[in-house]
Amino acid sequence: MNLFRARRILSLFLCYLVLTLFAIVIVYPLYFSAISSLKTGDAYTENKLSIPVSPVLENFSRALGQMRMLRYMGNTLLSVGIAMVLYMFICSAAGFAFGKLKFPGRLAVFTLVLFLQIFPQMVISGQVYQIASKMKLLNTYPGIILIWVAYFAPFGTYIMTTYYANVPKELIESARIDGANVFQQLFRIMMPVARPMLGTIGIIGSLAMWNELPFAMLILQKTHLRTMTLGIALMQGEYGLPVPRLSAAVLISASIPLVLYLIFQNYVTMGATAGSVKG
Amino acid sequence: MGANIRRLEFKEAREGWILVIPLLVLMMIFILYPVLTNFYYSFTKWKGIGDPKWIGIANYVKMFQDERFFSSLKNTGILILYIPVGVFLPLLLSAIMRDGIRGWKAYRAVLFLPNILGPVLLGTLFVIILSQVGPIIAMLDRLGVENAARIHFLGKSKSAINILSFLFVVWMKLGFGCIYFLAAMSNIDSSLYDAARIDGANWWKTFFHVTVPGVSFALQFFTVLHFIEIFARMYGIIFTLTGGGPGYATYTLEFGVYTIGFQAFQRGYASSWAVVLFIFCAAIALVQIRLLRKGENR
Repeated sequence: MNLFRARRILSLFLCYLVLTLFAIVIVYPLYFSAISSLKTGDAYTENKLSIPVSPVLENFSRALGQMRMLRYMGNTLLSVGIAMVLYMFICSAAGFAFGKLKFPGRLAVFTLVLFLQIFPQMVISGQVYQIASKMKLLNTYPGIILIWVAYFAPFGTYIMTTYYANVPKELIESARIDGANVFQQLFRIMMPVARPMLGTIGIIGSLAMWNELPFAMLILQKTHLRTMTLGIALMQGEYGLPVPRLSAAVLISASIPLVLYLIFQNYVTMGATAGSVKG
Repeated sequence: MGANIRRLEFKEAREGWILVIPLLVLMMIFILYPVLTNFYYSFTKWKGIGDPKWIGIANYVKMFQDERFFSSLKNTGILILYIPVGVFLPLLLSAIMRDGIRGWKAYRAVLFLPNILGPVLLGTLFVIILSQVGPIIAMLDRLGVENAARIHFLGKSKSAINILSFLFVVWMKLGFGCIYFLAAMSNIDSSLYDAARIDGANWWKTFFHVTVPGVSFALQFFTVLHFIEIFARMYGIIFTLTGGGPGYATYTLEFGVYTIGFQAFQRGYASSWAVVLFIFCAAIALVQIRLLRKGENR
């Protein structure tokens, strides 16, 4: 019996050990940027591995001001925020139609949505750029917002469709008989019902847009329009920045998604599996 | 009565289309139209301004003589070779987490962090971490590794593509895989585990005979997701981590389309690369749609 218990404890210990090792390897970049962002340039050169002896906040103020991260943060919040409103509306409207209404061509259009959802930005980049420039959308937020929504909505629509397909039809039946039009049904019944799923696609969609690079790079070419992700992607090359300052910029850019992640972890977990997990 | 039903059906059809139209219009303009016109541009010489000039299959001939193209294919192949590890490792970790570990949710949450940071921030950080004056080299140096300062992780072709593959296929996807497999495992009938225990099966036997078959659909789906990620979602990490180099050692088709089209301004030629990329992605999409259909019918 004792031997049995000892074996159980040993195997549990091994499990924790393995998981903890992986956790450390995964967290390291974040940890590294956190300790580096609190060092002066000289302190970093001297000591790259351990925590700062005398932490400074100067890097953050420099990153926010001189390196324009504050400006970029405003840009990102504005463009992702507006895009999200449009995205949620479009995904739930289309998901409602695909999941609950019968109309000719439904299956064909839905398959097209599934099909187009996976193409990389690069297959369409050249022509998207051309269209944007013809429509005078280059270097504008409406440009990047419309393109983001067009590119990311198919996946959100797919998730909303699978959700609505399982909502009982009685829910809208009475409203339909009362003569509520389709947008009233959408806003008063379908969207409130799907609140947890809207949270999920909201998280997936906003993270995808927050971290998006290729389209932002094509459309927002003026420095003052950049999103945080684009700003950071182009920082390395532009200045040859000291590591602590770049680390601070990275942390600033990651801060909002990280806080959202802490608060809405359940939605994120649901989002990772939405629509596709079955045994 | 019949006319009434038909009128209701007509109303439903109209409403269905009204709801779908916003999505459809955006998709037509910004995805479908670009995908289709891309085929035309791939047969032209075009710098992005002025009129494209029809040159037949010259772009494709050029592509098949282009070192970068073959390098891209080879690199994609190397990335794909990492998929088994990228699938198996999260599966194994999930099985461990399920095995009576307290705080498994915390581990799961931590492992998912790379997905929150995103490829651009991670690429930027790893350039610093792996650089010749970075913390890894400093660590090796402190551990007494000789000539640690001469190691250049991202400066040598072989190590660069392997590091990129490991980071993108294994490291970044670990947390997502765990969430995914844990959800799938929670659907396995627990009586199967009881039966295995009664039969006296050890941990590995249970893992291979109960857990793995129990999540077979999730395994297939996750593998397809890996292919999508490799063909279609790598631009951000390549741009920040290696810039396609050293030489063309970390080029992929996706990265090539951008550099050829928007840095060299050979937009027609870039379109022919995009066509090849399209064909690969279309094949993957078909597999994925078939899987989804299969999943719906279960």
